[in-house]
Amino acid sequence: MKAKNLARNIVIYALLLTAAVIFLAPIAIILINSVKGNFYISDAPFSLPDKDTFVGIQNFIKGFTQSDFMKSFATSAFITTASVLGIVIMTSMTAWYIVRVKNRFTKVLYYLFVFSMIVPFQMVMYTMTYYAFELHLNNPVGIIFIYLGFGSGLSVFMFTGFIKSIPAEIEEAAVIDGCSPIKTFFLVIFPILKPTAITVAILNAMWIWNDYLLPYLVLGSGENKTLPVAVQMALTGGYGNKDMGALMAMLVLTILPIIIFYLFCQKYIIKGVVAGAVKG
Amino acid sequence: MATIKFKDVTKSFDNGKVTVIPRLSLDIKDKEFVVLVGPSGCGKSTTLRMIAGLEGVSSGELYIDEKKVNDVPPKDRDIAMVFQSYALYPHMTVYKNMAFALKLKKIPKEEIDKKVMWAAKILDIEPYLDRKPKALSGGQRQRVALGRAMVRNPKVFLLDEPLSNLDAKLRTEMRSQITMLHKKLQTTFVYVTHDQTEAMTMADRIVVMDKGVIQQYDTPQKLYNEPANMFVAGFIGSPQMNFIDSTVIRSGKDIKISFSEYELDVPKSKKQALESYIGKDIIIGIRPEHILSDSTPDKEKGSCILNVTADLAEMTGNETNVYFDLNGQKYIARIKTERKISSGDSVKLYIDENTVHFFDKDSTAAI
Repeated sequence: MKAKNLARNIVIYALLLTAAVIFLAPIAIILINSVKGNFYISDAPFSLPDKDTFVGIQNFIKGFTQSDFMKSFATSAFITTASVLGIVIMTSMTAWYIVRVKNRFTKVLYYLFVFSMIVPFQMVMYTMTYYAFELHLNNPVGIIFIYLGFGSGLSVFMFTGFIKSIPAEIEEAAVIDGCSPIKTFFLVIFPILKPTAITVAILNAMWIWNDYLLPYLVLGSGENKTLPVAVQMALTGGYGNKDMGALMAMLVLTILPIIIFYLFCQKYIIKGVVAGAVKG
Repeated sequence: MATIKFKDVTKSFDNGKVTVIPRLSLDIKDKEFVVLVGPSGCGKSTTLRMIAGLEGVSSGELYIDEKKVNDVPPKDRDIAMVFQSYALYPHMTVYKNMAFALKLKKIPKEEIDKKVMWAAKILDIEPYLDRKPKALSGGQRQRVALGRAMVRNPKVFLLDEPLSNLDAKLRTEMRSQITMLHKKLQTTFVYVTHDQTEAMTMADRIVVMDKGVIQQYDTPQKLYNEPANMFVAGFIGSPQMNFIDSTVIRSGKDIKISFSEYELDVPKSKKQALESYIGKDIIIGIRPEHILSDSTPDKEKGSCILNVTADLAEMTGNETNVYFDLNGQKYIARIKTERKISSGDSVKLYIDENTVHFFDKDSTAAI
């Protein structure tokens, strides 16, 4: 029995280890090459930097100066922060309304949100792009509203599940204590929703920060381009014409903020996902 | 400190399709401890929630301290409520939970601190002020909920089954704490429960409700000794009152009650009322604790002697519950454990006619 368990564990660990290597390899390659000289990147992309190939932060300086990286970084940061804040606040309010006001309208509303989760982006992208231009949403502020639309399905679904587990008596206690509906939401409900709110924020932040297609369609590759579009632009062109070192440095700087954000908030992800399953 | 008055209040849901309170008129005196009691779905919690303002009044008038409050929002009614599930704010410490309402009223910090410390001292929760509710036991949480209500110094305290989630020992403890709190605070208390022991031990007056209608509103003693109908008689008292189908018969110049093969004298006070029932079926009610055994001293024994077999005898300490059968109906007697009674024993049980209740069979009202 023991030997059987051991064998099973070895197989499981081997599989998980392989998966981890597959997922981490691209990041490792980018990290290694971001501190190597341009020639060595194409010559030996998998070798670790040594005293000949190591160039320190030179690639990072070039990445900053040679492209409009900082502007794209700021655009991405603005769009992600504003969209995530909007999604978290508005969808949590919507979910609260759906759970507490039980009528046909809220039922339909809930199913619409759930339905929006399963509609593939490719199905709506042309009409969406058309209307984004028609309604003058093709700018860093306008795209926030589009993200609010795309992000609300999953967010409302997650918030609804959690709010159902909050006893209505807590809200009634708040009403008796003197809270208006707005105060009840921000002083009582929203703080209770913290684990779910952080989970929703992480999931949306990762998606919006890394999103390529939507900003490319709506904002294009002009002066308002986001980081993923900027990176893609830097990649375009004949091989060898491009400064691969600067590009690797750009990639490191692109993935760094979202990894840091995730590491800070990751303990809430599981909490938020299972919250509502069992009454605490 | 306030009076509460319901004047022909009705409450219905689903646009009038479901009526929970058909018509309610009730007067609660200032500083009174009133308990609303009844089975699940009798409308007691709805009545309490109407006082709180959490449920609107469909028609009629509701007054708190002689001021009509039909359209007054909960926060302006000067009431405080303690919920069954405590309803503490989980993200706030005990101190913040208690201070929350005062903070919203923009009361100075020093005054909030004074009030919270005062309530915490009375309720013995001072050591837990920095803890969050999840780090407290059920009893401690309930005390925090009481403290949250106390600091507001409300005109009316509303308590919705506050002890239901506690274990039996803690419930008894908290029961006396709440009674003492009422004496200390000298405020009107309205308390909802389905537990008749809580109602009997705590209330100045009890409202017994069924299907949204008040069955009787009186002191615990009156409810126990003079129940208005079979519902109240059955609801108040544990174990429940025995109801026996009987007939009023004439026996010479006298009238008697006949049931099974037995006859029972009619107490003098009831003779006149029962005259009109001669030849008719009525229901008599006998509380299990009023049935005496042959080990009780002679002078206390009743005139009617039942010779029965104990189907089951449950010894509960100083008393034994004896289950017996009369004409296929099950009854229970609670007798003092002076001699051991076992299941299957033949027992002589005595009924004192002065402790028997008489009910009209059709209307179920007391005769």
